[in-house]
Amino acid sequence: MNAGTNFRSIVANPRSGPPQGCVRRPRAATFRCVAMFRLQGSKVLAVDMTGDAVKAKNGSMVAYDGQMAFKKLTGGGEGLRGMVTRRLTGEQMTVMEVRGQGTCWFADRAAEINLVRLQGEKLFVESSNLLATDAGLRTGTTFTGLRGASQGNGLFTTTVEGHGQAAIMSDGPAVVLRVSAQYPLIVDPGAYIAHQGNLRQTFQSGVTFRTFLGEGGGEAFQIRFEGDGLVYVQPSERNTFAGDV
Amino acid sequence: MNAWGPPGAGPVVHDPMTLPADDNVNSYTFCVELKGSQWFLQKGKMIAYYGAIEFNGVGHGRLDRLVRTSFHSPLHASDWVVAEGSGKMLLADRAFDVNSYDLDDGNLTIRSGNLLAFQPSLALKQSIVPGFLTLIGTGKFVAASNGPVVFMEPPIRVDPQALVGWADCPSPCHHYDHGYLTGVMGGLRAMTGLGGASREEHQFEFVGAGTVLLQSSESLMAEQASGALPQEPGVPGGAGVSGSRGQQAGAPRLPGQLGDLQRRFGL
Repeated sequence: MNAGTNFRSIVANPRSGPPQGCVRRPRAATFRCVAMFRLQGSKVLAVDMTGDAVKAKNGSMVAYDGQMAFKKLTGGGEGLRGMVTRRLTGEQMTVMEVRGQGTCWFADRAAEINLVRLQGEKLFVESSNLLATDAGLRTGTTFTGLRGASQGNGLFTTTVEGHGQAAIMSDGPAVVLRVSAQYPLIVDPGAYIAHQGNLRQTFQSGVTFRTFLGEGGGEAFQIRFEGDGLVYVQPSERNTFAGDV
Repeated sequence: MNAWGPPGAGPVVHDPMTLPADDNVNSYTFCVELKGSQWFLQKGKMIAYYGAIEFNGVGHGRLDRLVRTSFHSPLHASDWVVAEGSGKMLLADRAFDVNSYDLDDGNLTIRSGNLLAFQPSLALKQSIVPGFLTLIGTGKFVAASNGPVVFMEPPIRVDPQALVGWADCPSPCHHYDHGYLTGVMGGLRAMTGLGGASREEHQFEFVGAGTVLLQSSESLMAEQASGALPQEPGVPGGAGVSGSRGQQAGAPRLPGQLGDLQRRFGL
């Protein structure tokens, strides 16, 4: 990740020095503590908290030490408007807020977990692939167009925005691919899990009359990413409508 | 290899320059470099690509001759796709381990569900053993397995579920533990599990010179159609076979099946 994340080096001695979760916020004059995300193995997310909060997928806590309070957030913690939007768009997300002191471990169905550090960019991710975010990150929904329809995930996707860390899940470790001006990337809709940065996505279809003869290329629907950013793909394909043609 | 890279560096970000050419990105993803060349893939195993790559069904127009040169049988060609163009393409299969293997003027037989992709310099044929495919020639192919693959030398007996394939010429045959499966008591034991059935009474036996490929788990991958068999007498697994015993050669005989008992009692 270009953001120069150094959470791994912190993992080596988690109990040393001042609270590592503290970062200097550009606009705030004081130090503010944010939750520290780290991976324990590749399928368990450990979050060190010092009185602050994270939003996590409902029921994904597997263990904690210290003092924790779990509160279900109605409508993904996005207020009444978010609640209505999510209901309307079908991009349902049941989220809980975890607040406390200590370490909380999260995991979901042995899915691989990938950490993403956001510095003001927007992360687009399917709500089913989002495990946890910093409480300071804003989440919302956005229209994705035909891509969503082709992967059976609906026409909308979840966005995560702000400064902080998020954890996304994938079936098998995700491969992070960079998209730049001279290198556009084409992704199978079933393998796509998330993207971040300034990317344009177009949906391309290779459906020809041969598809109907059963001689299709097997990759009839593809998403093309152009611009500048990162795309996360998983080494597995969800069952999609497009997978059969 | 680790998707996260060295500690402290965060996840590795790949671009067309840093992606390996014809090598694994991590244990579950394989990168193929195309430079105007072709690769065959099973349908739907491409997860992403850079560059200009076209995917066409085998048998599409001018690609028809590929069926002749690389497939030899039109029976299962519709499950395969030709990738053609230039760029780098990532292959993966249901988050299983993937690995590439080089064949040098050799032959290798593999379970049909495990084969992901191969170079057109290899010829793909249906094996006589139902559900298996044979690759012949020189070139590279990519196969998936549940857990890493181990290579064993015959003579060896292997568990049917762990078998991925075999190279060169060991002869595959069934093997049953006799102490467990003969006699009335053996039959009852195998059928009911009373008196202890280890469920390992049946193995595949390989003898001869060659290599046997095993996966390190016993969960099978979904079988891919390897093509219909010609309706001819003498073809194992083909519908043309109607054994006088009523025993289909293709279906593995389950221990304790009624047919076996009948034969044991001499009925």
